[in-house]
Amino acid sequence: MFAYYLRLALASFRRNPGLTALMVFAIALGISVCMITLTSYRAAAHDPAGEHGKVLFAASIDSWDPEDAYEDDDKSLAPTLLTYNDAKALYASDIPDRKVMMYKGGGIVSRGDKGMEPEYVSTRMTTADFFPMFEVPFLYGGPWDAKADAGPDPVMILSKETNKKAFGGENSVGKTVRWQDREFRVIGVLDEWTPAPKYFDLSNGSFNDNEGAYVPVAWGPILEMGSHGNTNCWKTEVINNFQDFMNSECVWLADWFEIRSVEKQRAFREFLDNYVTAQKAHGRFPRPLNNYLYDVDGWLKRNKVVDDDNKAMLLLAFAFLAVCLVNTVGLLLAKFLNAAPAAGVRRALGASRRDIFWQHLTESGLVALAGGLAGGLLGWCGIWAMRAWYARFLDAPLNFIPFDAMNFVIVVGIAVLAGVMAGLYPAWRIGHAAPASYLKVQ
Amino acid sequence: MGIRPIVSALLRNSAGAILVSLQIAITLAIVVNAVYLTYQRVTLVGRPSGIDDQNIFSFSVEGFEKDFDFIAMVRDDMALLRQMPGVVDAAPIHQVPLSGSGSSSGYYSLPDKKGKDSPAAYYRTDEHGATALGLKLADGKNFDASMIEWPKKDEQGQPPVAVVSRGFAEALFPGEKNLAGKTFYDSQSKPIRIVGVIDHMHGSWVGWDKVDRTMLVPRVAEYTRYIVRTQPGQLDRVMKETEVALRKRDPNRVVGKLNKMSDDKQRSYSGDMMMAFTLTVVTGLVLVFSSLGIFGLATFNVNSRTRQIGTRRAVGARKLDIVQYFLAENWIVTTLGVLVGCGLALAVGYWLSTQYQLPRLDLYYLVGGVLGLWALGQLAAWQPALRAAKVSPAMATRNT
Repeated sequence: MFAYYLRLALASFRRNPGLTALMVFAIALGISVCMITLTSYRAAAHDPAGEHGKVLFAASIDSWDPEDAYEDDDKSLAPTLLTYNDAKALYASDIPDRKVMMYKGGGIVSRGDKGMEPEYVSTRMTTADFFPMFEVPFLYGGPWDAKADAGPDPVMILSKETNKKAFGGENSVGKTVRWQDREFRVIGVLDEWTPAPKYFDLSNGSFNDNEGAYVPVAWGPILEMGSHGNTNCWKTEVINNFQDFMNSECVWLADWFEIRSVEKQRAFREFLDNYVTAQKAHGRFPRPLNNYLYDVDGWLKRNKVVDDDNKAMLLLAFAFLAVCLVNTVGLLLAKFLNAAPAAGVRRALGASRRDIFWQHLTESGLVALAGGLAGGLLGWCGIWAMRAWYARFLDAPLNFIPFDAMNFVIVVGIAVLAGVMAGLYPAWRIGHAAPASYLKVQ
Repeated sequence: MGIRPIVSALLRNSAGAILVSLQIAITLAIVVNAVYLTYQRVTLVGRPSGIDDQNIFSFSVEGFEKDFDFIAMVRDDMALLRQMPGVVDAAPIHQVPLSGSGSSSGYYSLPDKKGKDSPAAYYRTDEHGATALGLKLADGKNFDASMIEWPKKDEQGQPPVAVVSRGFAEALFPGEKNLAGKTFYDSQSKPIRIVGVIDHMHGSWVGWDKVDRTMLVPRVAEYTRYIVRTQPGQLDRVMKETEVALRKRDPNRVVGKLNKMSDDKQRSYSGDMMMAFTLTVVTGLVLVFSSLGIFGLATFNVNSRTRQIGTRRAVGARKLDIVQYFLAENWIVTTLGVLVGCGLALAVGYWLSTQYQLPRLDLYYLVGGVLGLWALGQLAAWQPALRAAKVSPAMATRNT
């Protein structure tokens, strides 16, 4: 029976090719706009850490100005970065399973005269657990250990890209590079690694490129290297040298913790509160107790990675799809009613209302499927164009807006569902038309 | 001709009319709000920055060896850049306006954090900074060379003079004339005298509502960038020559990537431009589909009423009457949609205003939208109505 309905539908398409094309086109455009906005929304709402992100926590404690909260719109929120002393104190806790203290620095990488133009390379100043904790893939070598953190040892890990620039992409483990005015030993080279959003450091944009090199954070004070990312200060303090800066209320570092058990998570929250309360006795932390431990999902929300534009666009896209669908319902209705005499003949020859209903629903379903597939392809082109647009302006990794097969399936699904829904009323209407009235005028 | 026969004909076959009304309602809601948002974004992108942003490029310079002489490097580089053909002026500056990265601080009109207060984005530069940015001085004068502080070890803080933007000065001293010569204070109560007032200058963050509060500080920062302003049309040539000339003068430091300020500006506004572009495309498509929907319904109505039209023509209706009939029918459907659409548009507008803290949807846009859709409806129904008028009175006697 279904095959017969399909044949009838195709015959109907041939009768009104223009009208059919218009319906397919309407659904296709609605679907493609939805696909493009849905993809960029999902790209922003994507949680790159997945399940593991539920046990990764960023600490945020309110060391800010007593008279002026860190965020204007929600005064109970704390700064997203830490002061040097706080970052160090929280890092010293032995409750977490893994812990990281870090900030974004940078330096000139060179190889003396060995065929490399000296170049500025943004550098993550971090600790040993960074690599296992954020599941960083290695191409050669591996991470440094806690001993290298304590030294600090002059060890360095290069990104794949930096390794290509400095060593032509070969295994450089064991070789030395100059970083600023010192020699560092390469102990590892990363494979391609571009988590998007860059959840472990959102302070310079959610989709910024990763750093080109990694160095133990303890080199920061030795080289007197401040943050090459964000530094925010509120207090009137006399800062004459780097030591003053490290002791100031300026925030510029981040701590992340991996805490697997719920008991330990509770214990660590308590530790945060106790730490801040103890600091209050020293005249610090003048604001109320606003301490937070964000998991990755919470952290993405706290940093508003999905912005208002994303939401407005999604609303607009679905409103647009609604217009396209209403349009299709109207066109289907007109088309079916125009062909009503044929349905009248079929009814008179013994087809049941059900048969007529299913026949017409098959036709609208087919239109929807064609529209969905065409819309999916059109959407794909749109996403490609959007990637090209952003690649022109932003230093974003190319996977910033992913070609997501799931999105394709979702939108084609939406299209078919919506198309069938759009066909329900016209199909029902034609199924219930009295056959006699159409036979009469023939 | 009365409206009653039209209404009763519509009621007899209401599904198509309701669908088109619904489509018009959603269309009105989308179009009015999309045009409003687009207008906001386009105004934002198109506003002047006060800077000659189409003829400027910037880059970082950094030495990395221990014994490297920063002051000598800046002096010699500047001497080289300023005499290059096609260069208007060049200056060291620690952050670049419109780039998204910068420094700001809070200032007060009285000591001890009293009086009016305002934040400002500040730019550490020398006496060439104002010309290298192409700023227009409205009052007072620029720095002279003796005011510029060069880096000394372990000394920071604020020089005692500044050139400020009018937006910043008026925030500190509202309603006052003669802004040049006034003194304001930093958070440590250090006095700063305004030597010159810039007519208008945007700072680093274009999304900030205080983007026009800026100030030039007469100090050359230890970590600096250079900005170079060229004569119109010379930018690309000068950029190429600069790269070569600087490397040749001293290969022992790193010259960063040369950025056109127009690119920085485009990047800063890329989200707004993307939004405006998408909104425009979607608005256009929605209008096309709505017209097609109206056209489709009118065509269907004409087709299914051929005999009725023929009868009316046979009993004396003129062609004009037939055209009027279909246009009136269309007008009723459109009006129904527009009425619902007004409510929908206001609801969406309200939601957007809570999302963006924008002023509520301007009613002029709604009025414009309603008039536009009325016109669009009549236009889309025009061709089917004319076709209806061509139906011959003889159709009344036929069977189909």
